[in-house]
Amino acid sequence: MSGPVPSIRVVPEIPGVWRGRTAEQVQAVSTGIAALDAALPGHGWPIGALTELMPFTEGIGELRLIFPALRRRCQEKRSIVFIGLPYILYAPALVNAGLPLSRILCINTAVDDNRRWAAEQILREGSAGAVVLWSPVDADIPLRRLQLAAEAGKTLAFLYRPAKHLGNASPAAVRLGLHAAAGGIRIDIAKARGGSVRRSVVVCARALS
Amino acid sequence: MHAPIPSPTLWLCLHLPRLPLESLTAETDTAVAVVDRKGPRRWLIACSEACAVHAIDAGQDAILALSRYPELKLLERSLKQERQALIGLAVWAEQFTSFASFDPRRLCMWMEVGSVLRYFGGLDPLLDKVRHGIHTLGYTAVIGVAPTPEASLLLAHAAMPPVTDLTKLGENLRPIPLNLLPIHPDEIASLSALGLQRLGEVLDLPSDALARRYGPEFIAYLSRLLGRLPDPLQPYRAPQRYRRRFECFGQIESYEGLLFPLKRILIELEGFLRARDAAIQRLQLVFGHERHDPTVLEVRSTVPTRDAARLFLLVRERIERSVLAAPVEEITVVARRLVPLGDTQLVLIDGGIGNNSGWTVLLDRLRARLGDDAVHGLELSQAHAPERAWCCVALDEKREAEPAPDPRHARPLWLLPPRELDTLPQLLGKPERIETGWWDGQDIRRDYYKARTEAGADWWLYREEPSGKWFLHGLWA
Repeated sequence: MSGPVPSIRVVPEIPGVWRGRTAEQVQAVSTGIAALDAALPGHGWPIGALTELMPFTEGIGELRLIFPALRRRCQEKRSIVFIGLPYILYAPALVNAGLPLSRILCINTAVDDNRRWAAEQILREGSAGAVVLWSPVDADIPLRRLQLAAEAGKTLAFLYRPAKHLGNASPAAVRLGLHAAAGGIRIDIAKARGGSVRRSVVVCARALS
Repeated sequence: MHAPIPSPTLWLCLHLPRLPLESLTAETDTAVAVVDRKGPRRWLIACSEACAVHAIDAGQDAILALSRYPELKLLERSLKQERQALIGLAVWAEQFTSFASFDPRRLCMWMEVGSVLRYFGGLDPLLDKVRHGIHTLGYTAVIGVAPTPEASLLLAHAAMPPVTDLTKLGENLRPIPLNLLPIHPDEIASLSALGLQRLGEVLDLPSDALARRYGPEFIAYLSRLLGRLPDPLQPYRAPQRYRRRFECFGQIESYEGLLFPLKRILIELEGFLRARDAAIQRLQLVFGHERHDPTVLEVRSTVPTRDAARLFLLVRERIERSVLAAPVEEITVVARRLVPLGDTQLVLIDGGIGNNSGWTVLLDRLRARLGDDAVHGLELSQAHAPERAWCCVALDEKREAEPAPDPRHARPLWLLPPRELDTLPQLLGKPERIETGWWDGQDIRRDYYKARTEAGADWWLYREEPSGKWFLHGLWA
């Protein structure tokens, strides 16, 4: 276990309990982007809960969006696990983004069930700094399993899903629609358990380094 | 300086009355018995616990037993399989002793333990370890401990407590009934005809009179029993390479059926590795089938291990995701390369306490279920062509030092297989020329651009020279 890191807000909480608008109760890791932190309960990506990211276009900074948090987890000497990558995760770009390659683990398997199984195992075990999963899944039970696994292991859990599912219900704690915007990326907060202050945030491209 | 006082010899004997059954199957909750032929008749020689309910016991005629319980499952005795089981036990026992020996005819195994008592903290802790091990291996054993091999077996038969002092051995053996002695029933009958019932009464007789009546072999046995003559016991020596075969008494068709023999084999393997202060990272499982090529499975561990429970988990996951071509007739487990260990690593390798052990166990499970190639790390490689500037690395491979960022050459997070473009999005900034020659195995000349599509996506494109064609090669995700 790593020691307390001042920049992470660690507030004791019981996972899975609806807390209305008491945003401070959510345990989170800063997104590294002030405008986004301000819009999310707990001021960052929730720990021990599922965050869904649904890009409407590919190549708009949808992955770089979570990199500041991933870098922080690597500094805590924890690994980042990418599961079910849709394309080649390009190692030279990771190095340039400041992610140490020795902390990166990729799991590629053709069957979506196996990807979600692997994600669940890793989330539940709890040592990993973050799990980043791509899955076309749109059924309540598999999503709920992922959410429960993230709660059990108190891990950061990011799930990239097709944007067409944004309108459907999901047990994830945070659900974001990602759009291309002039000079950056527009983040529509579709759901934020623990209450959200703003519905939409635009992050400029420079902030996504 | 004093020379160390040699420890007195002490033998631990495991008598395995149910070995004929337990070497074949782990079934105990159904009525199963092993039969052996004696002349024209077939006799039960070992029965599962569930047989007792139907008043079926070893020593009964097979026909009689079937009349009591027609559902009784009968298995033919396999001397070969019993011998294999004893060899496996001797391999397992090497973690406790440097001298293990067995007698397939008398269903027993001996271990010399006098020299290791101090290492294990005395006889009782050692007996606890042995009993626990025997139980997890799935055997029923009675233990006898004495200064001579024959006496230890006799004490096991008589279920009597350990005798450690050679000078008190004769006295302690006196109450043992004669029918437990390994002599012909006719001789026992003739001794009882003389009014003798216990060993002590026989020992009181003058030995020349006994020799005349029962032959010199009987006298030699008594001498070995009491330690007056050395026992010609030969130690079993395991080969340095681990290879264990298990023949299935019937074909195994279910995955669960494979688990019992594999669990036993892996516990034996742990004993083998402990005896050599070693661990393994790879294990090969070969399943033999009738009229089919054998199925060969490799199991790999991220860190060297010898923990049977951990290996079992890996093996189970590996089998779960494999398709076996046909029912299994025979299992062979091979461990080729042993990794030597220093004492300092033990805690981590034996599992449980190490800081990262949960994590490495998890990685092994993932690899066992999804395949070795499915779980990998990333590394840079020296090639100039962008598609070859990276590579996958296995988790147990040695890593290069962490590379430094190269901010002069921006790269996209997603790399795509090159796709030719008909229409061009808006190009941004200056191109980056990437050239490789024949020395790189590929002759390419490309100008790379960042470009923005109408939908607002950022692409990584290149114009190929000399063809002038445009290709999409990456996404700035």
